Amino acid sequence: MSVSFDVIVIGAGSNGLVAATALAQSGRQVLLLERANVAGGKSRVIEFAPGYRAPSLGIEGGWLPPPIAHGIRLELPGMKGPRIAASVAGVDGTMVHLPQDPSSAAEQIRRHSPRDAARWMGFTARIAKLAGFLEALYLLPPPDLDMRSLADVPGLLGLAKKFRGLGRADMTELLRVMPMPVQDLLDDEFESDALKAIIGATAIRDLRQGPRSGGTSFGLLHWLAGAPAGSVRARGAWRDRPDALTVALETAARKAGVTIRYSAAVANILIRDDAVTGVAITGGEEITAPIVVSTADPARTMALVDPVWLDPEFMRAMQNIRYRGCTSIVHYALDRLPEMAGSPDGVDALSGIVSLSPTLDALERAADAAKYGTIPHAPHIEISIPTLRWPSLAPAGKHVLVARVQYAPWHLRDGHFWDGATASALGRTVTQAIERVIPFSHSAVSVMTPARIEDEYALTQGSITHGELMLDQILFMRPVAGSGRYAMPVDGLYLGGSGAHPGPGVLGGAGWLASRRVLADAKRSPGGWR
Amino acid sequence: MTTPSSRYDAIIVGGGHNGLVAAAYLARAGRKTLVLERRPLVGGAAVSEEIFPGFTFSVFSYVVSLLRPEIIRDLHLPRHGLQILPLESTVTPLDNGDYLASWPDADANRRELARHSPRDAEAAVQFGRLMHHMAMAVRPILGMVPPDPASLAPSDLAALLKLGKHFRGLGSERFHALYKLMTMSSADYLDEWYEFDPLKATKAASGIIGTMMGPRSPGSAYVLLHHYMGEIDGAFRAWGFQKGGTGGISNAIASSARAFGAEIRTNATVERVLVKGGRVTGVALANGDEISARVVVSGLDPRRTFLDLVERSEIPDDVVQGIERYKFRGSSGKVNLALSGLPSFTCMPGPGPHMRGAFSISPSLDYLERAYDDAKYGEFSRNPYMDIVIPSMIDPGMAPPGKHVMSIFVQYAPYHLNGGWTDAKREAFGDTVVKTLSRYAPNIESLILHRQVLSPADVERITGLSEGNIFGGELALHQLFFLRPVPQWARYRTPIRGYWQCGAGTHPGGGIMGASGRLAALEIVNGR
Repeated sequence: MSVSFDVIVIGAGSNGLVAATALAQSGRQVLLLERANVAGGKSRVIEFAPGYRAPSLGIEGGWLPPPIAHGIRLELPGMKGPRIAASVAGVDGTMVHLPQDPSSAAEQIRRHSPRDAARWMGFTARIAKLAGFLEALYLLPPPDLDMRSLADVPGLLGLAKKFRGLGRADMTELLRVMPMPVQDLLDDEFESDALKAIIGATAIRDLRQGPRSGGTSFGLLHWLAGAPAGSVRARGAWRDRPDALTVALETAARKAGVTIRYSAAVANILIRDDAVTGVAITGGEEITAPIVVSTADPARTMALVDPVWLDPEFMRAMQNIRYRGCTSIVHYALDRLPEMAGSPDGVDALSGIVSLSPTLDALERAADAAKYGTIPHAPHIEISIPTLRWPSLAPAGKHVLVARVQYAPWHLRDGHFWDGATASALGRTVTQAIERVIPFSHSAVSVMTPARIEDEYALTQGSITHGELMLDQILFMRPVAGSGRYAMPVDGLYLGGSGAHPGPGVLGGAGWLASRRVLADAKRSPGGWR
Repeated sequence: MTTPSSRYDAIIVGGGHNGLVAAAYLARAGRKTLVLERRPLVGGAAVSEEIFPGFTFSVFSYVVSLLRPEIIRDLHLPRHGLQILPLESTVTPLDNGDYLASWPDADANRRELARHSPRDAEAAVQFGRLMHHMAMAVRPILGMVPPDPASLAPSDLAALLKLGKHFRGLGSERFHALYKLMTMSSADYLDEWYEFDPLKATKAASGIIGTMMGPRSPGSAYVLLHHYMGEIDGAFRAWGFQKGGTGGISNAIASSARAFGAEIRTNATVERVLVKGGRVTGVALANGDEISARVVVSGLDPRRTFLDLVERSEIPDDVVQGIERYKFRGSSGKVNLALSGLPSFTCMPGPGPHMRGAFSISPSLDYLERAYDDAKYGEFSRNPYMDIVIPSMIDPGMAPPGKHVMSIFVQYAPYHLNGGWTDAKREAFGDTVVKTLSRYAPNIESLILHRQVLSPADVERITGLSEGNIFGGELALHQLFFLRPVPQWARYRTPIRGYWQCGAGTHPGGGIMGASGRLAALEIVNGR
């Protein structure tokens, strides 16, 4: 017991970095522990083949709410949205491009459906408005039934009103839209299959659900919170390098005085008399601190706690969290660009996202297989060539292609499991599917299965989102009812990862709110700062 | 033709059970009330008809549990012939030849469950308690006119405040449990409680009835609660049959309405609701007659109420759009069989008390989910979920001596079938149902004297329910409470003054509950 800190933060992803920085800036001695040898968590850049690197679990940059950046005095790195936010390969093989700019997008859509084109601006404005409500909601702890959190509600409404001019009727509309299947939302609006398919794909991201599942409209709004106005897809990406935000956050953390240790996996959270006393690191070293903020997922966090300190009801609720990872990522090393990149549209499309699912039914059928614990014959695949934005990820003149694949259920049934053979088979399926639309040749391939994601990123069941982002697992229900406001039922233990409100994709959101809670509790406790 | 003396206070369009309930309450409040029903008999989807000589069927709706106790009391329904006989058991035949049964006797029930899973037998006690609390939590909402959260009117604010108070009164734990129930899939919800798959499937089945959702569709857990309500808070605390078939319930309500002074006309098709200067003036019948009234109440579904009965120009565009996107998507069919004798189920051969209960063809969650998968892509289920009862076992009067009537509720039969419903498709659907049943009751085919197959298209044609949806529109979260049928018009009113809605397309929705009719009538009486 040689070292001691005021706060230990577990995990150096965006949430951990934000939480650590915020706490250090308010005068605490903060230690940040990361099991990997670099920061970045889910968005760290990996070398999947010699000389070929790629952003690991996501292509898009995500959204760090500006008030949080302001709160930790972080200068956000520059972003650059692709000209074409998303493209989709239509049923007949033709490519439908959706430029980021709504009026150019409407122009493109007009070729397929004048009716849809006429509705486009209205639809994107409406979606932006509703997503804007979530933006406000994501800056505050989730309101719950108790008086203390209900006191936040007027503030919340005020925020929504101030930010987006949202009124009561918009709130009714939000309540109507959130539980809807995204397919219903889109069928009510559009007739073009390809258009519906590309929007629908945003909504089912990392869910083991198809577009006919209730609540997927919420998914759409969630992933569009913080997106540029008019976008139905991308939040844009960092301009200079895929991990520009991680670099900026790490710099900010160090500047604030955070001690960062890499390759330091936490083995236990130490507890005495219902209160945290520190952590033990793999290898046996113990570090003392009265406060631990974990940004690991809820299951991983609770696995660090001796269950004698936990209430059985709480444990049961934690065990009932649905993780159900179902995303797989395939990285390809390319000797040259595919032919499609020959045209300006092709280049712009492939530096954004190209979905290979031409219809909502294609998405739904892919999800059907996963319901029964099998890998679909025709999975939903989205590809991107990040080297078109960041050439330094590959040797000069070479390229990297990333394919995000759904649905690859973590839990395979009927005696199947994720091993080398299953992974290769999935890789072959994905390669063939891409080749049918965009002929390409590759020199190396790496399949990141849900099982690998679980192992390498410490994500339970390979769930990139720290638990399925469905209506019953958001807001005050995230991670579980009654513990939705960051403090876990052990004194001094806080959850500040994507498994807490506001969840994945809102970079630093949970970390920031958890740090606010830590500071508020310190003010409340009789001895001031413990 | 209009004469001043024939002027009514209120005309009810459609003599379904909600329309009849509304009529009875209005008449009871002293309003001169007229019910107009297109068919020769009242009841809508709650009718008994002698489809084949000597065989009487509850043609559509076949069991009851949700009928509100206050309606039974206020309308003196037992005096008018309401007589509910309990449906005592449910037997789920399993694929291995065994069965899963639920019995009315708590001990027998626990023993039966423990035979399959001791853990589930224990969980069932707790689950029952939770559902009881959930039903109690929902009860006041079912009896409440939905507030409009977007309105700043004092009455709405007061109602919202009351609602907020109600939720706070539940306490966090129950509120969270209710929230889960509203948002989860029935499979996920039941997974948290039970392990024995056929048990989960049989319970989940009540979460998919009448809705285009599978047991794994988020939102289906609410439909489960909707059906559980009756068992907990209904007048009979169980599912039951009306003596003589479901039509007997409608007849009892009609008789009560008449006793209060309402007039009921059958074979009277309303063609149009007449509007002048944004205010209702009466109705025009298909035969050319016009009848004037100060109030017209539509018991039909929202599409018919807003889009068919009145000129589009009378309804604001955004409301028209809202109604157009309101989802019906009928997903159920019905097969009514006249049988020469009792079928025998392989899992429980021969006659016995179980024949007085229901049979649920729901051997596993996957079975139900795959049935849904077929329907999603526009086919009827190759292996459908079926809820089967033999009403003649309880009321022998429904069939000739020694013979029987069997009612088979089938899910899924999508209204939007690929290529549309034809006579051939209907018969193929009927064949699939009988073939599926014969896997569990092999002698069924040899017993069939007559067979009536009803697709959702048939349900629509006969009852008028749009797309054959038995709930007057899907019971999905985005179509409930202050969103049913559309925001702003979820309080039984319409944009036309004096024109009201009282069907199952309004809060709280479907099933033989009568709550919509009652709440609408009370709003009309109090609201002017």
